[in-house]
Amino acid sequence: MDETVKPSEMIVHLGPQHPMMPGPFRLNAKLKGETVVDSEVDIGWIHKGIEKILENKTYLQGITIVDRICYLAAITNEEAYVGCVEKLAGIEVPERSQYIRVIVEELSRIQSHILGMGEYASFLGFVSMFMYTIRDREDLMSLIDSITGARITHSFLRFGGVKQDLPDNFANDVKYVFGNIRKAVDQYEELYATDRIYKARTVGIGVVDADTAKDLGVSGPPLRATGVAFDIRKDEPYLVYNDLDFKVCTHTDGDVYARIQVRLDEIRESMYIIEQCLDQIPSGPLFPEGTAYGRRTPIMRVPAGEVFHRVEDPRGEMGFYMVSDGSDKPYRVKVRGPVYPTLQTLPGLLKGVPVADIVAIAGSMDTCTSEVDR
Amino acid sequence: MDSKSVMNAITSKFPDIHFVFRESDIRITGRVRAAKVVEVCQYLKEEVEFGHLCCEFGVDYPERNEIEVVYVIGSYEHPVILTMKAILPRDNPEIESVVPVYWNANWYERETHELFGVQYLNHPDLRPLVLTEELYGEWPLRKDYEGFPNKTARNLV
Repeated sequence: MDETVKPSEMIVHLGPQHPMMPGPFRLNAKLKGETVVDSEVDIGWIHKGIEKILENKTYLQGITIVDRICYLAAITNEEAYVGCVEKLAGIEVPERSQYIRVIVEELSRIQSHILGMGEYASFLGFVSMFMYTIRDREDLMSLIDSITGARITHSFLRFGGVKQDLPDNFANDVKYVFGNIRKAVDQYEELYATDRIYKARTVGIGVVDADTAKDLGVSGPPLRATGVAFDIRKDEPYLVYNDLDFKVCTHTDGDVYARIQVRLDEIRESMYIIEQCLDQIPSGPLFPEGTAYGRRTPIMRVPAGEVFHRVEDPRGEMGFYMVSDGSDKPYRVKVRGPVYPTLQTLPGLLKGVPVADIVAIAGSMDTCTSEVDR
Repeated sequence: MDSKSVMNAITSKFPDIHFVFRESDIRITGRVRAAKVVEVCQYLKEEVEFGHLCCEFGVDYPERNEIEVVYVIGSYEHPVILTMKAILPRDNPEIESVVPVYWNANWYERETHELFGVQYLNHPDLRPLVLTEELYGEWPLRKDYEGFPNKTARNLV
């Protein structure tokens, strides 16, 4: 951004700490009156150097580190990391473990979407919606807690399996919670659709068309809101997603309203996936039999090689590129987060919008700064 | 479209791209000369439907005295992912920027520049992105960086 300002212009710094932001990043906006002329995103306030740390940890220790990339999607980060190691070492995951992983990942997707959506509503001043979503999300957190033993940073996946089996009576708990969540999601949808102020602030705001979105490298709900049915679970199935019946939720408008609507639809779709999993899940061992892999895998060496593994995060395409040199620590790990390209598109989207819409557009991307900075 | 037809399409146009190995039906790895990167990316995007740059980053190999710049390129139309590597000398890593072809390479290249010291030619805005000003020029993700963990992450490791 050009820092020189004409007499009628001024530069406003939003952040790094700002109530609208899900994490610290700074947005420098050059304003002319009420209109954004130009803007710039400044990141790196919570850069943790996770890629360097992973190079200095053994493979098993790395699982707890990748949790910290983004706490809302901790389990999908683990899946991408563990999937890389499993591909390199040629570990087959038993079917029961794969189903348990899908269940936890989809639960995590639902809670992430619910929180993202509620937080977004509070950015627009719709604070009662935030209270509703936080209340309903608590049941989901308890479900995740009952499987993994932790609410946000789970450290639940292991190479070749998962840490624990599903608890007793889990199917009944799910049935009870999902009954409530279904009603809640219908209620959210109705509240959004009937609120005149909410609609005035979201319909037709921040529109991206499909070709632009593809060009910008966006993935996840912001891309699907433009009508592109791009979902790693369908395009490059991992785990047992091939055996499950679900559809990719898309909308064609590409505006802020559509992005929230896609998330609402995905919550319903994820609940459907979990119910199928609970019906289909076979009994069997959690770890491949006749191997050394288990809950406490000792220090393992992974064969030399390179692999790129990607999974569908709540926010889009999460990929890990791992280079192994045959030792007990990875030689290089690259984390490709979904929000990184999405956040990059903000200056272009904000050009020419009124100041009040900055929050509406930036919030609808469901950015997670922790993951951008890594 | 599978990896075989993608490989054939690319090698017929650029015979000097050397495919190292093929992991599976939907993953291929190739090596490209650093001078040709932009031309190859242009071709990939326009002719073979590789419209989605997944990521771009560096890998440091001090004993070979090389830095690899890796481009992971996917597509919205077909499931093949191409991993393309350009090998640069470690003393003077310089490569043409692919921002004119893949717009979202902008931040990836800024990050690779400040973490590995790779110089991107014709990049629109090659400023540091994530690190503090004091760390600029130390190239912390190179293998011979001595400041880790005492200087960078004392409380974490």
